[in-house]
Amino acid sequence: MSNGANTEAIPLYVKQPKVYPREVKGRFARLRVIAAWVLLGLYYVLPWISINGQQLVLFDLVNRQFHIFGITLWPQDLIILSLLLAMAALTLFFFTALAGRLWCGYACPQTVWTEVFLWMERVTEGRRNKRIKLDQGPWNREKIARKSAKQFLWITFALWTGFTFVGFFVPIRELGMRLIEFNLGGWETFWLFFYSFATYGNAGYLREQVCKYMCPYARFQSAMFDDNSLVISYDEARGEPRGPRKKSDDRHELGLGDCIDCMGCVQVCPTGIDIRDGLQIECIACAACIDVCDDVMDRMGYPRGLIRYTTENALNDKPTRILRPRIFIYIAALLALATLIGLVLTGRDPLLVDVLRDRTALHRVTDQTLENPFTLKLSNRTDRELAVRIAAEGLPGLRVIEPTAPVSISPSQVANQPLTIGLPIERAKAGMHDIMIITTDAAGEVLNETETRFFIPARALE
Amino acid sequence: MPRTDRDIPPRPLAQRLGAILWPSFFAAGVATMVFFTIVDPLMLRDMTFPELEMSRMAGYTIGFFLFWSATAASSLFTWLLLRPANRFNGGIGE
Repeated sequence: MSNGANTEAIPLYVKQPKVYPREVKGRFARLRVIAAWVLLGLYYVLPWISINGQQLVLFDLVNRQFHIFGITLWPQDLIILSLLLAMAALTLFFFTALAGRLWCGYACPQTVWTEVFLWMERVTEGRRNKRIKLDQGPWNREKIARKSAKQFLWITFALWTGFTFVGFFVPIRELGMRLIEFNLGGWETFWLFFYSFATYGNAGYLREQVCKYMCPYARFQSAMFDDNSLVISYDEARGEPRGPRKKSDDRHELGLGDCIDCMGCVQVCPTGIDIRDGLQIECIACAACIDVCDDVMDRMGYPRGLIRYTTENALNDKPTRILRPRIFIYIAALLALATLIGLVLTGRDPLLVDVLRDRTALHRVTDQTLENPFTLKLSNRTDRELAVRIAAEGLPGLRVIEPTAPVSISPSQVANQPLTIGLPIERAKAGMHDIMIITTDAAGEVLNETETRFFIPARALE
Repeated sequence: MPRTDRDIPPRPLAQRLGAILWPSFFAAGVATMVFFTIVDPLMLRDMTFPELEMSRMAGYTIGFFLFWSATAASSLFTWLLLRPANRFNGGIGE
């Protein structure tokens, strides 16, 4: 390990000091709790909601269908899914430009689950100082009991999270029944434990390190920022010079700013930074430092907002503009995407028709009729039963020989239907002819029109 | 002359693992989604190993881990190339 005589001592390893975020109360803490309840509520409850026996949100991989709020998406609808993802990304950019890292502080799963795991840690191990003491202290009966209780809560919650995750891909009620009977499939078990472990590791141990070292958004969000974006900032002009003092002291006489250097903002920070050093990439804009500082300002009798939501322009005494070209561009792009998604969604045929030519017999002649056999793959993309009537057009005298009765297809089901189309032999002319397969529902409404070809070989007419 | 033997200290293992496994996990997830939207795993099986007993779920899972192993190998390669020379020259640890 030696590297010459005149090398300076370089630390071999930067040990990551464990962050013990202090609990905080206040306006923004309340907002974060509400956001967590809403988001986690959606996550844990949504898969259990079914309407007419159909799970409201189900990414049914086994049957290759996505059910999202009454809309069924098929692999052919990849475009809609891509557009939705593009819209989600643009929405994130829009909110970042407008209000900074709102996503990180309030909505990111990493933040939300970490908060729940922190809460369980607080319930079992106590508040910040107690947790620090417990970690430093010896392994006595109390430490073992508290740590075991925490692990029990963490692991139970993580397993429930993993189960719910699989429930988005496999009907969750059946999954629950099979779980009770210890009869889960191999892959279901695997993904349940995989996601549980990811939750346990990310929210229990990695925590702020995910934001600091693994999150791509933290690295590129500065591209969406400008001087008008909302950031959390310490008012240096008002706070400095910082220093401790009694409440009765006159800070102006002592030559001090408003910051009493209580370190509250540092202790509550989940990523372990000092906001007073300026805007940093590690800041996830959770506003915990605002809450704790406002509380201190109240107690000192100083005005609130030494740390506050503000903009770079406001800090420099320049006007802040909310409506600016960047915002309009994002709004326009979002509206365009939403319109496009709406158009694609409403323009979808309720019935998807694939015409497969019968390879063994392209044609046959029976009873003075020239017939072409096909197989139709009919996919019902609606959530109601369809009675499909099949007709053929494109040549005079063309008619469907089989099936004559309507074909009924259950919601979201695919039917393989043999189809025979015939033409009286005296009206047949040799060649490949473009024809149209037209499907209609019971009310005569056209469901789909698909083009295919009708084959008449010359030798069949001899 | 500027000093060339100075270097930032090595990062903790969790950070290195995270930087390699997580982006590759993400890329593999996207690739799996796009690939299996177009390709039905059962049809893929029929074209390759038709005698294999396999469910769609197994197909998706195998596909995902194949993608992940490829993307993780690429991430690992990038990490190796970006490591400063003195980590290989018996300088500081790691």
